[in-house]
Amino acid sequence: MASEQTREGELAALDSAGSETQRKTHVNLGQRLYAWRAGLAMLAGLFILGLIPTIYDQIFGFSSGFQLHNLSMIGILIIAALAQNILTGYAAQPSLGNAAFFGVSAYLLTWLTTDLNQPYWVGILLAVLASALLGVIVGGPALRVSGTYLAIATLGLVTIAGALLNLWDTTAGRQDYQLNNLPAFLGDDHALYYFVFIIVVILIFLVYHLLHARVGRAWIAIRDNETAAEAFGINLASYKLQAFVVSAVLTGLAGALYATWAQTASSSMSSLDQTIAFLAMIVVGGLGSITGSVLGAIFVGFIPILLGQLPSPLAVGSFQIQVSILNTGIYGLLLLLALIFFPTGLSSLIGRGGNLLRRVGKRGGTQ
Amino acid sequence: MLWTEANAMLAFLQVVIAGLVTGSLYGLLALGIVLIYRTTGVLNFAYGAIGALCAGFLYILITGPQLNFWLALLVTLLFALVVGIVLERGFARPVLHAPVFTKAIATLALALVLETLAQAIWPQLASPQHFFTPFEGKALNLHGLYISAIDIVILVVTALLMLGLNLFLTRTRQGIAMRAMADNIPASRLMGAPVGRIFMVVWALGALVATISAVLLASRQELISVQFMDPVLLLAFVGAVLGGLDSLPGALLGGILIGLADNILGYVLAGHTLGPLNISDPGIRETLIFGGFVLVLLLRPQGLWGRALLRRV
Repeated sequence: MASEQTREGELAALDSAGSETQRKTHVNLGQRLYAWRAGLAMLAGLFILGLIPTIYDQIFGFSSGFQLHNLSMIGILIIAALAQNILTGYAAQPSLGNAAFFGVSAYLLTWLTTDLNQPYWVGILLAVLASALLGVIVGGPALRVSGTYLAIATLGLVTIAGALLNLWDTTAGRQDYQLNNLPAFLGDDHALYYFVFIIVVILIFLVYHLLHARVGRAWIAIRDNETAAEAFGINLASYKLQAFVVSAVLTGLAGALYATWAQTASSSMSSLDQTIAFLAMIVVGGLGSITGSVLGAIFVGFIPILLGQLPSPLAVGSFQIQVSILNTGIYGLLLLLALIFFPTGLSSLIGRGGNLLRRVGKRGGTQ
Repeated sequence: MLWTEANAMLAFLQVVIAGLVTGSLYGLLALGIVLIYRTTGVLNFAYGAIGALCAGFLYILITGPQLNFWLALLVTLLFALVVGIVLERGFARPVLHAPVFTKAIATLALALVLETLAQAIWPQLASPQHFFTPFEGKALNLHGLYISAIDIVILVVTALLMLGLNLFLTRTRQGIAMRAMADNIPASRLMGAPVGRIFMVVWALGALVATISAVLLASRQELISVQFMDPVLLLAFVGAVLGGLDSLPGALLGGILIGLADNILGYVLAGHTLGPLNISDPGIRETLIFGGFVLVLLLRPQGLWGRALLRRV
């Protein structure tokens, strides 16, 4: 009797194991299909990104260079948005200090290439390394301060950096800080576009894998419950510091690219307005989301371009308004509306849209 | 020799008084910031813009319809109350349940909107304009120590406002309910406090304090523009954080400390250069103040007078 029972048990176990392997292969198939689709979508996206210059040439003709130049700026903003999102959306550090890295890195690059006649690539490398160092210097003390206190302290850092960079300009007696010695190919708008977006694509890939690796999961755990994360053995100080450094490096790279893009460095790069732009990108796009960073950068980058298309001065009845004044106001208003109506960001909208499509698709399938 | 020493003493005293006066202005702003932050949880970066908007309104009333200064001031203060109520209903209410960080960013956006609005309605305020007050050009002479009339007004108004707010918060039902809300909103709601109405009162009071400090600042600088509060606001925030972000006297003291540091540093550094570098530049002064602020935060993360943060596990 007993032996039969065990045999039955064994059989049942075998059976369940069989179904499990079956289910596993099923899941594997589904996952593989999903990966295929995601891969295809990514390839299509890359293809479109690569084709955009040609499309722009067809649409805009002579002004396509200028339009592409604007588009490259959005690529630079995407990098800055990723940086802010890693720090604020993932590691939950409400730091407003990224604009300081942005400005300092741009000045360093310009100083190295224009004043010290170093090659451009050395300049970029040193600017990014200096940003990493700054990230450690700022991130270290930031570990002791949290929440609102951190926000105000880092906001102070931005104003101070802006004031000191401005002081440097006045001490050196220059109106604007020209970036010379650029590699010749970066003067061409098409080449600049490809240069920026190749970097953006590589960075998105790297950031995606960083966020799905040990570090990223630790950041998310810290964000969701600091105490629980600590109890699980996550070294809070170390991981927070890593978030500061990664964010500083990315922002520094964005700053150096921005100086390349504008061919000057200006102290307004480290200002309250720049901070607002960085925060607006991640809050509008969605905190803790790579898609959100991209969408937010497009939102913040395109609005000034679109508003620039308006006739100036704009006449509303007998009221004449300079559009350049309205720009910031409309920008602020859109930001407010986005915050009120999509408090979780535009990226959640895409998720919702995707769910809706899937549901519609399912219903179509069953009928 | 004695004479120059007395003169230096007098000059230093003059600087200290100037520090107290600007510090009171920072302190007043910090007071309003802390009031709104503690009760409604909004870190209000639009605070300067609100004050600037109302001060701009006062300037227009004086220069446009040629109103008497005191009448215009009265109308402006009423206007400030309305602005506060409108902002609470139109802005703070819809974002009430958003995280603190999102709300802070929303106020940054609000500041942009308010400044643009002011600039679109009153284009002349885009650049600094002369701000007239009855106090202009009057000063008190105490044995060689000059104190201008507006400085005395600022000190008196600050003291009165602080006293009044304190009485309001400790002696009236509304004030006590407000302090209860600062500790725990659901609990105060359960105790029957009209939370919605108190939010409105807080914002109206906040706008009033912002307007008073903006008008005082404009009177002291004798200049006004749409963005004239921006440079002051960050220092006010630093003062508020130094004070611990949770007590009104702390905020006032923090602001006064910043004002004193600002003026004394300006006096000590004036006219000095370090090689080609001009140390008397405001940038250097701000850097030093900010450095001291960070040092204080590192030693006391909860601010000078703040309660230590407890973490519930």
